[in-house]
Amino acid sequence: MPHHWFWWIVTAACVVWYSTITVYVAFKGAKDIKNMLARLDATKKREAGEAQN
Amino acid sequence: MTNFNWLLDGSIVGLYLLVTMAAGLMVRKYVGKVEHFLVAGREMDVYLGIASLAATEFGIVTCMYTAQNGYEKGFAGATPGILMALAMAVVGMTGFVIKPLRDAGVMTIPELFEQRFGQRIRWAAGVVIVLGGLLNMGVFLRTGGQFLVLVAGLDVKYLEIMMTALLVGVAIYTILGGMLSVLVTDFLQFVVMSAGLILVTILILVNVGWEKMVMTVETSYGAGGFNPFINPTMGWQYVLFNLMLNTAAVLTWQTTIARVLAAKDTATGQKVYTRTSFFFVCRFLIPGLWGIAALATLGPVANTLEAMPRYLSTAVPAGLMGILIAAMLAADMSTDSSYMLTWCSVIYNDIMAPFRKKPWSEKKGLFWNRTIIAFIGIFLLLYGLWYPLKGDLWTYLGVTGTIYLASISMLLIACCYWKRANSWGAGASIFVSALIPVSYLVMEQLPSTVQLAKSIGPYYSGIATYVLSAAAMVVGSLLKPQQSLRKESA
Repeated sequence: MPHHWFWWIVTAACVVWYSTITVYVAFKGAKDIKNMLARLDATKKREAGEAQN
Repeated sequence: MTNFNWLLDGSIVGLYLLVTMAAGLMVRKYVGKVEHFLVAGREMDVYLGIASLAATEFGIVTCMYTAQNGYEKGFAGATPGILMALAMAVVGMTGFVIKPLRDAGVMTIPELFEQRFGQRIRWAAGVVIVLGGLLNMGVFLRTGGQFLVLVAGLDVKYLEIMMTALLVGVAIYTILGGMLSVLVTDFLQFVVMSAGLILVTILILVNVGWEKMVMTVETSYGAGGFNPFINPTMGWQYVLFNLMLNTAAVLTWQTTIARVLAAKDTATGQKVYTRTSFFFVCRFLIPGLWGIAALATLGPVANTLEAMPRYLSTAVPAGLMGILIAAMLAADMSTDSSYMLTWCSVIYNDIMAPFRKKPWSEKKGLFWNRTIIAFIGIFLLLYGLWYPLKGDLWTYLGVTGTIYLASISMLLIACCYWKRANSWGAGASIFVSALIPVSYLVMEQLPSTVQLAKSIGPYYSGIATYVLSAAAMVVGSLLKPQQSLRKESA
């Protein structure tokens, strides 16, 4: 175990966790944006329809 | 000399700016109401929330002060990050404060206060939130500019022009698309920023090496470089102040809370907090490592804030340099856009509330929100250019943030969990919380009181603010006659 093991573990955890979460969030976040914009679009169309009626 | 290559690195940066601006402008068509503009129609999901929260809370300014902490305090300088991660994980898991806040369906924290403490307290809370937030954000531009100028090896005379152009670009997509543009650009910025941070950290760990970094900290700071409690510049008062500051920030920092309020439901808001919490360790430790590497490579320097960018300008090769600058621009742009939108939301929703006797049309509301963001941008340019920063950057941000963090966190906890809390306590807490940090900042600037400010120090002043603000809430609330409380509730 390297000298000052606490900071070594925290540093290793940061590099591994951050690399993993970046890739994961990059995929999942893109899907979230797509769904969010689709929901907003649907709401906009529904409200426009209600206003016409 | 710097390794920045205008053709290769400049193209990477240019491409990044083009894609971000295009994405920010594309979503403006979805903004039809004030609710879309301020909280993205409350349609944000978990992973977009994680990306947005992480990108917002990491700007160039963050990178600069955390690297300065690493340079000046060694590994112990990452202590605030660990404390913030713990606070965020606990709040996310338990839903402490954020659950009742999100359940209330409000757009800002002061809006919740009106239901309990009345309209005047909502207004006063809005004023201190904006005051603390804008003073805090005031130093972002210059510090960000310092980093970019040093890393890219540009003439310092271009700093103002470059940062003005960057702010104008950010303001354009924020003004047009509000929170929707902020979320979409935050996502892109999170990906670019993270890639840059990870690659540069790996490069530093490989080139400088773990053993050399540990040896440098040991030689420069001894055991205090690893343990904040025995570091002569930190001690228990630093840890306690940072614990209070970070817990209050997790509960009430408007840019952080904005993600909970924009979440599609309360459970999503809590998940965003829990799953982002460890990022706050990375947020302090990764640039902290860059600061330690600068200490190991450059040795002692006159300006510790500039040590890290000076080191990176020669340590990072061309190609990666473009990714680093794009990453830092991404970090800065996401922070600026979110902060401008957040303080705008408080000005519009709470400070201007008394002027809206009748509800405004959505069109008029959007117009005013956009105008406020433009004014915030102008303020940032002016304030950022003349305020002379004294002491270390993290402490300045802590002191200015405390102006509102202390009282608003007390008000929020009391509002959610203490039935006896009332407007007298809330008013007293806001007054005490603003008075102490503002007095400290003024004392720091005046030649006649600068020594007194030094002898008190920012940590004791900060701790006193949190303790006295809580005491003011309790005493003020207990002093208010029960009769007037009954009248109020009737």
